[in-house]
Amino acid sequence: MIDWLQFVLAPQVINGLSIGVAVVLMALGLTIIFGLLDVINMAHGEFYAIGAYAAVALIGVGVPFWWALVITPLLMAAVGYATERLLIQRVFQSKDRHTLTLLLTFGVAIILEDGLKIVFGANPMRVEAPIGGATEVFGLFFPNYRLFVMALGSAIVVAVWVLIYRTRLGAIVRASAFDHRMAGSLGVPVGVVYAGSFAFGVALAGVAGVLLAPIYSVFPTMGRDFVLIAFSVVIIGGMGSIKGAVIAGLVLTQIQSISSLYISPVWSDPLLFGIMVAVLMWRPQGLFGKLGHA
Amino acid sequence: MLDVAAPASDQIVGTIAGPVTHRSPVRWFAIAFFAIALGFAAVAQATGQVFFFRLATEALIFGGLALSVDLLLGITGLLPLGQALFFGFGAYVSALVLKSVPSFWLALAVAVVASAAFGLVAGIIAIRAKGVYFALISFGLAQVLSKAVYNTRELGASDGIIGIPAPPIPLGIATVDAASPGGFFLVVLVAIALVYVGLAYLLETPFGRQLGAIRVNAHRVAFLGFAAWRYKLAVFVLAAVVAGFAGALYPMLRGFVSPELMFFTVSGNAVINVIVGGAGTLIGALYGSAILTVLRSVIGSFTEHHQLVIGAIFVVSVIFFPKGLIGYAVQAVESRRGSRRS
Repeated sequence: MIDWLQFVLAPQVINGLSIGVAVVLMALGLTIIFGLLDVINMAHGEFYAIGAYAAVALIGVGVPFWWALVITPLLMAAVGYATERLLIQRVFQSKDRHTLTLLLTFGVAIILEDGLKIVFGANPMRVEAPIGGATEVFGLFFPNYRLFVMALGSAIVVAVWVLIYRTRLGAIVRASAFDHRMAGSLGVPVGVVYAGSFAFGVALAGVAGVLLAPIYSVFPTMGRDFVLIAFSVVIIGGMGSIKGAVIAGLVLTQIQSISSLYISPVWSDPLLFGIMVAVLMWRPQGLFGKLGHA
Repeated sequence: MLDVAAPASDQIVGTIAGPVTHRSPVRWFAIAFFAIALGFAAVAQATGQVFFFRLATEALIFGGLALSVDLLLGITGLLPLGQALFFGFGAYVSALVLKSVPSFWLALAVAVVASAAFGLVAGIIAIRAKGVYFALISFGLAQVLSKAVYNTRELGASDGIIGIPAPPIPLGIATVDAASPGGFFLVVLVAIALVYVGLAYLLETPFGRQLGAIRVNAHRVAFLGFAAWRYKLAVFVLAAVVAGFAGALYPMLRGFVSPELMFFTVSGNAVINVIVGGAGTLIGALYGSAILTVLRSVIGSFTEHHQLVIGAIFVVSVIFFPKGLIGYAVQAVESRRGSRRS
């Protein structure tokens, strides 16, 4: 029993955690964008892929990985800000903006994916892990880089939480999500908050892309499967809920990881989807409340 | 109308879909579409253009899928992001039937009945979700099931099913061979025309009006004593049948089916065809499919990156022309009529 826990279960839990924090970063971006703008960002997976490719390109021209990890989110934030200002704002005032913004970001996703194919080609690329070696945990060896991803990812999640719930800037963001008219009346530049939040969400996807680039290979459609998990997480946790994204992200990736001991990994997506459907039937609004409401 | 605190709206109002009445110029655009298709057939037959016959037949078949998307998106206000699931389902069922019994009518009948049953099960899951959640559920459902097919060896896994015979098509007075490019084009044209006329008629019935009411305001439908979910489920099943029917024609044209038919690319292209052609007009779905299928093929002969161009057209269409080609054409004709009267 102890052996089973140590040699079978523990590795799955830890591997699941390292993917889990990346999924949480993606889901946080999606949920912040939805919480503020009511926009389903269909291009989120492509922004994640661009983050990974930005790392490939930067490292390719001789920039060290650590600098790529800092520069990429800044670049992605600029891309996100421009996307919100130049494209999303144009359909934001129309009555059916839920559908139009979803379709718009879907179109952006198509363009970005084909753009990546043109610039980088369709073949997978690899990024060398900047930290080699392995560390012994509970008598098992884990790659240092995975442990680093877990630590940094957790730190970012905590930082996002502090930023939103414990700072004045976060209060402004929450106020804008709760009642943008009232926030606007009190002098909050709501348009900037919207664009900034979109940029922030996109930057988080970019960070996830850079962090996972050395673990998985980098290819133009890499975002598609990953974003489906992130969408499931956001739906289960509650669209626009930060707490929901974190909890559902960690729980779902653990379920996925542990279930792969018993079922073929081919069936883990259907399993996650089944859980999502069950939650939607029981609580259509997801487990937790929207940003600014709870 | 900017109320972020409100729950996600579960309808599409105004901008991308408009009411269609039988007096509107939509009817003339429909007649023009089928007339152009017949004219094309005459020219292609005279010049022996097999490639263009095949391409046009494919455009019509994907037009059938686009019709089912418009039924949900433009008419009822539900955005389906995984409609290719039913298209691919119909194609696989038809392929399996044709492999054992090469009968045109049997393949279509089995595909239609199976699609209805499958649509009912999927619909019970999907219509529980409202608004954007519906879009995401339909997306997820298609994603998961297409991957399941991709990994099922009994269905040919990633290769799909190849070597499907083109069946003879007995039409009572004459028998057309599905392998004949011109003959099969006409059969598909008649089939899609019948689907179009049937759906256009349906929109004039109380059932069709109810779908429009759900798009405009689902809550009020409930207040008026109608169970909106019944209509939504019915239209979801109908859309699945239309998509499955169109899909059933596909293996007769190409001789193979593959899991790619169910993938998001196909679902997404159908939505693009509908939006560019004009959501809520039905005929716009056929125009969109015809124009964009030809465009994809033409651009595809120069570069493999045709998705970039299609994506750009789509983004421009969503931002500047959300009513689509036929939506604006109808508006233009009507405003000219209006100015003449006044």
